Amino acid sequence: MATENKVNKKKVSTYKIVQIVLGVLFGGYIVWRLYQILIANPVYGPDTWLRFAIAGIILGSVYALVAIGYTLVYGILHMINFAHGDIMMIGAFGGYFVFEALKNISTPTVADPKLNFLNAHPIVSVILAFVVGVSVAALSGYFLERIAYRPLRNAPRLVPLISAIGASIFLENAAMLMFGAQRRDFTNPVVLTRGNGWEIPVGGGTVILTYTGVLTFVLSIVILVLLYLLVQRTRMGRAMRAVAENKNVAALMGINVDGIISQTFILSGGLAGAAGVMWGIHLGLVYYFLGFIPGIKAFTSAVLGGIGNLPGAMLGGLFLGGVESLGPAVLGIDFQLKDVLAFGILVLVLIFRPTGILGEVLSEEKV
Amino acid sequence: MKTQIKSSLNAGITFGIVSLFLYLIGFTTTASQIIQNLFKLKPASIVLGMDSLVFSFSLFIGLIGVWAGVNQARSQKGQPFGTVLMSATLTGLTHGLIVALVAYITGSLNASGVKMNTYLSQLLPASVKLFLFNQTSVLGALSQLAFLTLTALLGGAVTYGLTVSNVFGKLADAWHSLWKQVNSVPAVARFRASPYFSSVMYGLLLLVMLLVPLRVGQYWNYTLGTVGIYVLLGLGLNIVVGLAGLLNLGYVAFFAIGAYTVALLTSPAPHGLVWNFWLVLPLGILAATLVGVLLVVPVLRMRGDYLAIVTLGFGEIIRILSKSDALTWLTGGPKGVNNVGGPVLFGWVFNDVGYLYLIFLSVLLAIFVTRRLQNSRVGRAWESMREDETVSRAMGINILRHKVLAFAIGAAFAGLGGVLFAARNQFTGPEDHNMMVSINVLSAVIVGGMGSIPGVIAGAFVLKGLPEILRELENYRVLAFATLLVVMMLVRPAGILPASRRKFEHEKGRAVPGEEGAK
Amino acid sequence: MKIALETRGVVKQFGGLVAVNSVDLVVPENSIFSVIGPNGAGKTTFYNCITGFYTPEKGDVLFFGESILGLSPDQITYRGIARTYQNIRLFSTMSAIENIMVGEHSRLNANWAEAIIRTPRMVKEEKAAVEEARRLLNFVGLTGLGDQAARNLPYGAQRRLEIARALASRPKLLLLDEPTAGMNPNETAEMVDFVHRLRDELGIAILLIEHDMRMVMGVSDRIAVLDYGEKIAEGSPSEIQNNPRVIEAYLGKPMSEYEA
Repeated sequence: MATENKVNKKKVSTYKIVQIVLGVLFGGYIVWRLYQILIANPVYGPDTWLRFAIAGIILGSVYALVAIGYTLVYGILHMINFAHGDIMMIGAFGGYFVFEALKNISTPTVADPKLNFLNAHPIVSVILAFVVGVSVAALSGYFLERIAYRPLRNAPRLVPLISAIGASIFLENAAMLMFGAQRRDFTNPVVLTRGNGWEIPVGGGTVILTYTGVLTFVLSIVILVLLYLLVQRTRMGRAMRAVAENKNVAALMGINVDGIISQTFILSGGLAGAAGVMWGIHLGLVYYFLGFIPGIKAFTSAVLGGIGNLPGAMLGGLFLGGVESLGPAVLGIDFQLKDVLAFGILVLVLIFRPTGILGEVLSEEKV
Repeated sequence: MKTQIKSSLNAGITFGIVSLFLYLIGFTTTASQIIQNLFKLKPASIVLGMDSLVFSFSLFIGLIGVWAGVNQARSQKGQPFGTVLMSATLTGLTHGLIVALVAYITGSLNASGVKMNTYLSQLLPASVKLFLFNQTSVLGALSQLAFLTLTALLGGAVTYGLTVSNVFGKLADAWHSLWKQVNSVPAVARFRASPYFSSVMYGLLLLVMLLVPLRVGQYWNYTLGTVGIYVLLGLGLNIVVGLAGLLNLGYVAFFAIGAYTVALLTSPAPHGLVWNFWLVLPLGILAATLVGVLLVVPVLRMRGDYLAIVTLGFGEIIRILSKSDALTWLTGGPKGVNNVGGPVLFGWVFNDVGYLYLIFLSVLLAIFVTRRLQNSRVGRAWESMREDETVSRAMGINILRHKVLAFAIGAAFAGLGGVLFAARNQFTGPEDHNMMVSINVLSAVIVGGMGSIPGVIAGAFVLKGLPEILRELENYRVLAFATLLVVMMLVRPAGILPASRRKFEHEKGRAVPGEEGAK
Repeated sequence: MKIALETRGVVKQFGGLVAVNSVDLVVPENSIFSVIGPNGAGKTTFYNCITGFYTPEKGDVLFFGESILGLSPDQITYRGIARTYQNIRLFSTMSAIENIMVGEHSRLNANWAEAIIRTPRMVKEEKAAVEEARRLLNFVGLTGLGDQAARNLPYGAQRRLEIARALASRPKLLLLDEPTAGMNPNETAEMVDFVHRLRDELGIAILLIEHDMRMVMGVSDRIAVLDYGEKIAEGSPSEIQNNPRVIEAYLGKPMSEYEA
């Protein structure tokens, strides 16, 4: 019995061929378009490109915050928290109501008898808005898990997913009935007026680095760093990772699994709440359906980065924000179709790299 | 004792939150109006010394109060009368306190002229006043407190009485024994066992389907037609989700493709192709099927939940594309396509009755196909895939091929539904194909019972038929579906009419074969 | 005597971990061959290499002389290899008979169009399939339980049903993964008889993974021992029992302690 040591070459499947063909076609098109718009026939100047890029990064940082929530929950329960985007909506409403309430408190001074609290103490107001927005969202996350997911912990896979879809529609419609279907203006303090900002001269034009945008971006990054430290360095983070790895073993080690799952939902809800308040401050509209599209895009970001992977979700969010704002210009398609582009990216990523960019290999079901 | 107090408080808080939620979404007012209509009370008339609307409201909030008491008393089964009563009262008290507090706050704000409905759109002055029984805020809040406590006490007492005397148990026994007796009558038993039983039942059903469209008038024909199309869509999605276990959230895309195919090929605008409906019908089905196959091939290697999101995204892509300016030349843009051509048979232009027959026929066809497939090698392969994909592969089942097949057949049903829908409405546009269609159909399948044909039909009636009957509840319809979805998953994930398994070993009219191979 | 299964230098790695390291096996037709080894020795991974769920990095798997390397699991089932699972994996909501009929899938031909039209051929095939399922149900001693949902069957019955489902594809080689896991001595003894019957009455080759030494020694014609993915011994039951390397692999204790 001779031991042959022939090395098995991976079989080239038709699927692989399709992948390669699609990749070459798509990559070729992008290179050609880039040549067209940058060198051969420049439509936009550098200022416009910079504007797109800035908008993309800001949007992306919000996606990243929401995406982290998906990834945290997915890492632990292996379920898509479909209602996550709606938790973001709740957070946005929380911030909105704080601003509205503070607007109605007048703090007259000699210089300005009509001054209200919102404009007199913008920093306190913004902090308050975040505190309230994050709290209500975190609370919603907690109750969402307790009511709609916990009883289904051991049910077949489809069951909690459907329950999550139901919860999502419930939250949207409850908000619509309570707060009305109209879009409401998110009134910022005057110093944070949307569109105002630092003007940077770039090649012939000026690019405005808006205050709201900078606030959004800086705050997201700070939160993301804090979160990373929380998960990597603290006792709670360790317990979370243990539960994500193996619930039964974690329970045997004396970890309160239910408690950790609740904490995860509180945490991810809080992040979505912060994202919601930022969304309101930066983009200026709140309404009941606000969370749906960002929710799906954040999920896309999480998948892009490799779902279950924290830095991946951050990168994925920034990447998607960039694609969404630069993509239509680069690919030469209508800006109306930017949502199509985001979904298209999702499909492409799942075809080429189902494990995402940073590719945390999720336990491909053990045979 | 301590645990009882805790559980009573918990229940009270839960009921408090539910009541407040109903208040905030304006349901208290709507429900009162419905009750008023139900008893045919004239507005502003006096009932039992109250305004009729206030009376209706008392009835509604009283029912919730009683429910709180009943619920708490039932959780205290086996406890002595005093404990049960105390527990129910405590629940009512907590419930009442929460409600009274909010009633007082909103009442005072309302009285001082604050327009709450700028922020909470349902808190119109009239609704707030109604919530206070049209009293001042102090008096109204106190009435709420007293009323909810008393009703809970009442509920608790009645429940205790009923549990002790076991009225419901006796009623159920009586019903069962009656059912048994009816079945033991030789003629009935023989009839139920005879092979003609199901044929007779189907015959009756067919007769009803033939006669109903002629009798009920245009409005109901339209409503029944919509329900029928949802049954058709439900049957298609049932194959994908219920049998093959693939969660498709973008099912509306195939519906849209069917609808747009018939619309663009038979309407004079935007393309001026006025083709014959009967020619376009199979084309619409074919187009939907083809797109279904093309979409699903790259996506099928993914885990199930990815599939859900990708299909959701795909559904949205189709809708966004159909209304985008870039494709207006092709699809007619946001305004949609008008004057969609309909079927003509031997010179008879289909009216509402004709469409309803056509829809019924399609539904029967879909049921036939589903049943045949379900009880075949293909159907078993689908179900095994749903149960355990890995093992299913090890059984020699080509997973990819069967997934594509399920998707294609599901898409074909949806395409047919889309063709019928667009032709009947003589119109199709982007908003006919929003995500709610997918969610509605999915709800119908799940509420009815995944994998079960009667379940899908029941589900479609519940989701599309009931709202037509309860017009006043229009605003709360979607909220109710959502609640239903979650509650269904929590208490009865198999649906109202769960799929029943076919019997093989003891088939009717077949002897059990001997033990030829036994040990 | 023909050779049913032959593996030549099969290697399977996960990242840096070598789960199966150049394992050679020859399983003759109509024999019972056991693979034993401590937990994590790579036995189940080895099974997955044979059934096509993993493709080995090196080596070859021959089934009746033909390489089945790189075939997908369903194609391998078509060739005539069937398996059961360590943790029973029945289609739990389907009835016992339906489970067996799913197992018959690879032998049946009716496609979706035939199923809708219900051609005479399809009707005949279905009828035969039901008959065959009933026969297998009797064969494994579950007569009368055919219409029960698989998850409602008692544990021992589920094990038998899983074997019936595997037999439904009329395999030439049956892979059993710890068929006596969780069974009491009585049930184990019955399973030993049953495995013998499988070979004697159906004339198929059986490859067995097992922890229970008594079972292995009683039932096997030949035994191979895996440790850390490598084959450290092969021989008849008595040879294995006295092999020093095997004893060492099992924590250095004499074999007799494991028999107890």
